[in-house]
Amino acid sequence: MSVVLKAVNLVKVYTDSGVPVHAVRGVDLEIEAGEFVAIMGPSGSGKSTLIHMLGGLDARTSGEIWLDGRRVDTLSESGWALLRRRKVGFVFQNFNLVANMTVADNVELPALLAGASPREARERREDLLARLNLTERADAPPGQLSGGEQQRVALARALANRPSLLLADEPTGNLDSRNTRDVLRLLGEVHRDGQTIVMVTHDARVAALADRVVSLLDGEIVDDGRIPRRRPATGTAGEVIDLR
Amino acid sequence: MSTVRAGSRWIRADLRARRGQALLTVLAVAGIVAALLTAATLLEEGTNPWRGLFAQTNGAHVWAHTRDQPELGRLLALDGVARAAGPYRSAPVTVVQEGRKDPAALRAVPATPPEVSRPVIVEGQWLSTAQPDGVVVERSFARSLGLRPGEPLAMNTLSGARRVLYVRGIADTADQGFYPEWTPGLVWVLPVTLDQVEPSLGRSEWVTGLRLKDEDATQVVAQRVVVTLDEQLQRVHTWREVRAAMELDNRLLGTLLALFGVVGLVAAALALANAAGGRVLGQLRDLATLKSLGFTRRQVALLLIVEHGALGLLGIGLGTVGGLGVTMAVFGSTSLAPLPVVAIAGGTALVVLAAVGLPAWRGGRTPPIPAAPAAPPRGHLSRLARLALLVRLPPALVLGTRDAFTRRLPAFLTVFGLAVPMMMITIGLGVWATLDNFLKNPAQVGQTASLIVKKGKLTPAEAELFVSRDPDVRHAYPGSTVNALAPGEARSVRVRAIGTSTERYPFPVAEGRMYTRPGEAVAGQGLLDLLGVRIGDRVRLTVGGSPLIVRIVGRAVEPDLDGEVLSLGLDSLAAKDSVPPGFYALHLREGADPDEVRARLLAASGEGLEVQRVVNPAERLTILRVVIVALIAVLALIGLANLLTASALGLRDHASDLAVLKAMGLTPRQVTATLVTATGLLVVLGVFLGTALGALFVRGLIDLQGHASGVGAGIGRAPQPVTLGLAVLAAVGAALAVALIPARRAARVPVTAR
Repeated sequence: MSVVLKAVNLVKVYTDSGVPVHAVRGVDLEIEAGEFVAIMGPSGSGKSTLIHMLGGLDARTSGEIWLDGRRVDTLSESGWALLRRRKVGFVFQNFNLVANMTVADNVELPALLAGASPREARERREDLLARLNLTERADAPPGQLSGGEQQRVALARALANRPSLLLADEPTGNLDSRNTRDVLRLLGEVHRDGQTIVMVTHDARVAALADRVVSLLDGEIVDDGRIPRRRPATGTAGEVIDLR
Repeated sequence: MSTVRAGSRWIRADLRARRGQALLTVLAVAGIVAALLTAATLLEEGTNPWRGLFAQTNGAHVWAHTRDQPELGRLLALDGVARAAGPYRSAPVTVVQEGRKDPAALRAVPATPPEVSRPVIVEGQWLSTAQPDGVVVERSFARSLGLRPGEPLAMNTLSGARRVLYVRGIADTADQGFYPEWTPGLVWVLPVTLDQVEPSLGRSEWVTGLRLKDEDATQVVAQRVVVTLDEQLQRVHTWREVRAAMELDNRLLGTLLALFGVVGLVAAALALANAAGGRVLGQLRDLATLKSLGFTRRQVALLLIVEHGALGLLGIGLGTVGGLGVTMAVFGSTSLAPLPVVAIAGGTALVVLAAVGLPAWRGGRTPPIPAAPAAPPRGHLSRLARLALLVRLPPALVLGTRDAFTRRLPAFLTVFGLAVPMMMITIGLGVWATLDNFLKNPAQVGQTASLIVKKGKLTPAEAELFVSRDPDVRHAYPGSTVNALAPGEARSVRVRAIGTSTERYPFPVAEGRMYTRPGEAVAGQGLLDLLGVRIGDRVRLTVGGSPLIVRIVGRAVEPDLDGEVLSLGLDSLAAKDSVPPGFYALHLREGADPDEVRARLLAASGEGLEVQRVVNPAERLTILRVVIVALIAVLALIGLANLLTASALGLRDHASDLAVLKAMGLTPRQVTATLVTATGLLVVLGVFLGTALGALFVRGLIDLQGHASGVGAGIGRAPQPVTLGLAVLAAVGAALAVALIPARRAARVPVTAR
C-alpha cells in the first residue's frame, strides 16, 4: 500500500513566554492509504500539536512532513491553505461550524473553495447530508443543532472535497455517549469506503475503533501497534469494546 | 473564481447576521459624504449661484450706468467687448407694500428677451405687449416683498405719483446681487410702460451691460469704459462685485459644513475601523475555521476588506446620490462639477478602505487553529478598578471598571470615536450660541441701532424732530454712507459715518480703541485685509473726488459687506458728504419693539419718513440651524455605531465570565450593571473629553472663520453651560440605554447555557 502521510523526526518547540516548551520531540510516523490511525495520550502529551502540524495549521520547528509523496513542511501558510482545500479535511472537538451560515452553506463552502461549481457543490452537499441523515437540517443555523448533529455536519464539511487525509482532533470530546457512538459509526463507515483517517483522542474506547493506535507521552511515541481486525459488526446493539 | 463564490457566501451570511450594525455603518458614511458634497457645493459653484446664473443668462461682465443714452457703437468698439445688453432706460421708484417702502429700479427691456443678460423666468411669464401693465420682478426682490405672479405692485415715482402694475413673472439674473444686500431691487418693464410711469428722462438713467471676450480683461475694460463715457458715467460695476454679493452667506455655511464634514469623516473612519476591528475580534474563531478549510491569509484579509469596505462604498454611493439630490433640490440644476464629486467620493473611499484595511490585515493573520483562545489579553485590575475597589464601590462597578480597559486599543478607539463626534456637536452648539448671541445682543455685531430712518419727503429738521420726540428712542445718531475709492484698487469701499467723534455711535471695537477725534476711524477686518493696513496706519481714500485721510485706531466687528467697511464720526467727513445726514440710526430703549416704533414713526410723520428695520445677520443665517441639527444627527449616528461595537465586543469578551460571575453569586441585575458599567465608563470618558475639547476650541474656530469672512474675530461664543450639560446628559443617557438592552439580554442567559 502507498504511504499517504509521512513524518520524519518532527519537532515542535513553543517559546511563547521565553521558556522553550518541547511539545513534540522527534516523531516519526508513516500512515498508509486507507488506514485509520488513532493518536492517544493524556492531555499535554502533544497529540493535538502533532495533528495540527500534520494538517499545516501549526508550523513545525524541525523535521519533515510528506503528503502523497510530496514534501509539504516547507510550504508557506498560503501553500498549506491551498493544499488543505483538496487533500486535508479537518474535524475539531468544538465542531467549529461558521455560526452565521446555514448547515448547507457550511458544507458547500470547502467545495466552492476548491473550485466546484455551485451546482456540483450543492449535489455533493445533498449527497453527504443524506448519508449523514441531516437532509432536513440543511437550512438551519448550526446553533439550533445538537452537539452530535453539529459534529456530523463538521464531518460532512471535512469530507466535501474527498480529501486524501481526514484529520480529527478529539471529534467526540464534546459529545455524550449516544452522539459519540453515532459519530464513531460514521467515521467507521467512511473508513470502510477507503478514507485515510488520523484521529486524536484520549479515550481508549474511541481509539479502539481504529486499525492502529499510536500512543504519545510527553511529545514522544511510546507505543505504535495494530489492533487485530475484528469481524465486521453483526448489527447487534453496542459493540464489544476490546480493552487492551 | 472559486474563492469569490465561497467568500461571497460567507460575506452574505455575516451581513445577514448583523443587519442593524451594517445599516448604521452605511448611514453614517452616507451622512458624511452627503455633508461633504453639500459643503463643496456651498463652497463652490453651486451656492455661489452667480456662476450658474451667469452662464444661464449669458450675463454681462461690466455694467455702466449713465445719465444719458450712451453711444453703443463706442462701447462695442472697445477692445475686448464682444456684445452688449441695452442700453436700457431705468427709473428709480419706491415700491410700497403693506406700509413697507423698498427702493426699486424699473428697467425698460424689449418684449423679446435680450441675447446678452437674458433674465431666466422661474415663475410666470416674460413681458408681453399684450399686457402693458405687466412687470417681471427679480427673484430675491420678489421673495423679500412676498410677491407672486398676478399680484399687484404699487409704487411711487420720484415725482410722487402712485402707480400700480401687475407681476407677470419672476426671474433670475446675474446682473446684480440679491436684495436686500444689493439695492435697489430690479423690476423689468416694457419701454412703453416706463414711458407712462416715468415720462421724465431727467429722472432716469441708462444702463448698459457689456459681455467681454475674456473675463480676465474686466478690469481693463471697466477702466476704458470710465474713460470713454467720462462725464456721462454715474457708476460702473462688474461681475466680481455681483459674485461677491451673492456668495457671502453661503461661504460661511460652506466652511462650517466642510469643517463638520472633514472632522466627521475622521470620526466615521474611526467608527468604521472600530466596527470592523470589533467584528474581526468577534469572529476570530470563524476566521480560523475558514483558514483551516483552505482560505489563505490574503484571501481572509481580502474577504474582510470587501465586506466592510462594501458597506462603506454603499454608504458613499447613497451619500453621493443624497448629497447631489439635496443640492439639486435646493439650488436647482446648476450643481457641482463632476470633479469635486469624484474627488470627494474617491477620497472617502480611500479613507474607508484604509480604515478597514488594518483590522482586515489583522484578521488575515489569525492563526488557523480555531480553538485558539480569543480572550482578552490582559486580565489584571486596571488602576481605575483598583481605585474603585479602594473606595468600596459596589462589586458590579468594580468589575465593570476592570472590563472597560481589558482591551486597550478598542477602549481607546471607543473613547476617541465618541469624543470626536461629541466635540463636533459641542462646536455646532457653539455656532448656535453665537447666532443666539447675535440676536440677543445685536450691539455686539454693530447693530446697536435697530431702526434706520431716512427723511423721505420731510426736511432734515422735521425728521430729526419726529425721531427725537418718540418716547422709545434713546438716541438718534445722524449718519451718512458714502462710497470711497481705495488707493490702488479699482473698486470702492463703504465709508459709514454715524454719530460724531464726541457723541460716538457704539461700534463694537474688538481690537485697538474707539475713535475719539475727527480724522480717526475704526475698520472691519475685511477692509484691513483689502488695504493691507494695520491698526495705527493712516489710509487715504477718495470720496466723490475729495480726499479722506484717516488714521485707523481700532478694528470693529463688521458683519456687512465682507467687513470691507470704514466706520467713523460724521465730523470726519467733508461737509458736502455729511450735511444734511443721509439717515438717522435709532438706538431704542431696552425692551422697545422696533416694529412698534417703526409703525409709530410712520404714523406720526404721515408716512413721510422712511423707516427700515436693521436685518440681523443671524436672521440671514437661519439655515445654519437646520444644518447644525442635521449634522448633529449624523454625528450621533457615528457615535451610536461606535457604541454598538463597544457593547458587542464587551459582551463577547465577557460572555464566558458571566456564567462564572453568576455562579459566584452575582444577581442578574448586578451582571447587567457590570456590563453597562464596562461600556458606560468609556462612553462617559469619551463624551466628557469631546465636550471639553469642543468647548476649548469652539470660540477660536468661530473667530477664525469670522476673520476669514471679514467679520473679524470676537464673535465666537461657547455654548451655555446648561446646554452643554443637557447635551452631555442626553449623550450619556442614550448611550447607556443602548448598552442596557444587550446587557440585560446577556444577563438573563442561564448559567448552564454554555
